[in-house]
Amino acid sequence: MAEEFEPKIVAFLCKWCSSAGSDLAGVSRMEYPPNVVPIQVMCSGSVSPLYIFSAFNKGADGVLVSGCHPGDCHYIKGNYYARRRIHLVKKLLEFVGLEPERFQMSWVSAAEGTKYTQVIKEFVNELKPLGPQNKLRRNP
Amino acid sequence: MAKIEDLKEEARKLLREGKIKYVIGYAAGTNGWMASPIFIKKPEDVEKLVWDPTCVHNLSRFLVDEKRRKEREKQPDKRPVGIFVKGCDSRAIVVLLQEKFIDRNDVYILGISCEKGGVVDEHKLARKLEGKKPKKIELGDKGQLVVTTANRKAEFPVEELLAERCLECRANFPVISDIMSGEKIKRTVEKPFGSVEKMERMPKEERWRFWKEQLDKCIRCYACRSVCPMCYCDECVVDSINLAVSADTTAEEKADKVKWIQRSAESSENFVYHFVRAIHLAGRCIDCGECERACPLDIPVRFLNKKLEREAKELFGYEVGFDPAQPSLVSSFRDDDPEDFIR
Repeated sequence: MAEEFEPKIVAFLCKWCSSAGSDLAGVSRMEYPPNVVPIQVMCSGSVSPLYIFSAFNKGADGVLVSGCHPGDCHYIKGNYYARRRIHLVKKLLEFVGLEPERFQMSWVSAAEGTKYTQVIKEFVNELKPLGPQNKLRRNP
Repeated sequence: MAKIEDLKEEARKLLREGKIKYVIGYAAGTNGWMASPIFIKKPEDVEKLVWDPTCVHNLSRFLVDEKRRKEREKQPDKRPVGIFVKGCDSRAIVVLLQEKFIDRNDVYILGISCEKGGVVDEHKLARKLEGKKPKKIELGDKGQLVVTTANRKAEFPVEELLAERCLECRANFPVISDIMSGEKIKRTVEKPFGSVEKMERMPKEERWRFWKEQLDKCIRCYACRSVCPMCYCDECVVDSINLAVSADTTAEEKADKVKWIQRSAESSENFVYHFVRAIHLAGRCIDCGECERACPLDIPVRFLNKKLEREAKELFGYEVGFDPAQPSLVSSFRDDDPEDFIR
């Protein structure tokens, strides 16, 4: 029997909310798919579009950027900048024909361990039918 | 009708009085018909200036070079530089002012309105003339383009010869200038983003095939970057892979140099390069179309920028190049920016 496709997801999590949220999910022993490679960043606003392109280029099947809810940013307005920038990146990736499901953004607070597991579960379920991402991947 | 004579007079006066360092303008090109940039230092050379629909270049790029030169000189000549601008070029200057890259006192802007015309697309013209070489191209009285070749004179409606960007231009007169020639006539543009919309209507996979085919061609000559008035970073992220490795380069130094993009012109790397360029120009690109003109492989680079220009306008109500005091697109936000895509 052929093995089921397991997508690789790169998640950029902000240190103050989403990363703490994923920690909470961990210490609370909540179960969620192990497909995510979390990368802690200081703020969702510090995620350069190049990080995202580079992740796809190096073989990610999906990329997630997650930050604090609007109004809760540790740096007051970093997530507002992120919201604008990520939206543009999303539109650009869709424009060249990448599946829109492959790139997502979420707001996860430090208390939302359950929401974090939910986001990952849904993301993995959406990626599975799409198969591996070969469009932007560098040839090995 | 825009006449260059008044501007020539002004340029001559300014040069004679020594109020400006030199004038950047258009002169008849060496290939006979297409205008090429010219730098005029002496008042008597002002006669060489021309203005016709072949003045395609965006001269504001030279302001970037001028700034670099000034930074290198020990005792720089601080007088302003005179520059001829069309509508699109003036918007480029507005963005450079907005980003405080140049100072308003650094430039003396001589604006020319395109009025009902614009600039000619070389490819469209070549197709129309079927290999014949044009000698002169003028804008006629009735808004048509008059093309003179060796043995005949042909007239074409502007839509058939003008560059795509000119047909989608919403402000074909200088938005900023010290002296302007011509009227501020706005052409009615039915679909300012028509070409982008056409592409958006294509199914996803077809769109992917289109871009894959186009960007596969890219040889990474970076002509699009060199010609762009907005690409003025001292070190480009694309070049950061160039680490000079010598005998005493430590392993640490090598490891610290992040390889964001490989140099090879493979499609995966080309995609990253063009994505980065498009994102860096989001809210800054004024659609002068120079990248597309300079591209030796005719990649429609302009569409990526145009797409983001459209999104900036529709999502965030942001218009590029009209107000030097406006904060830039990615360094500002509104509380009610759309967030329906966020979980």
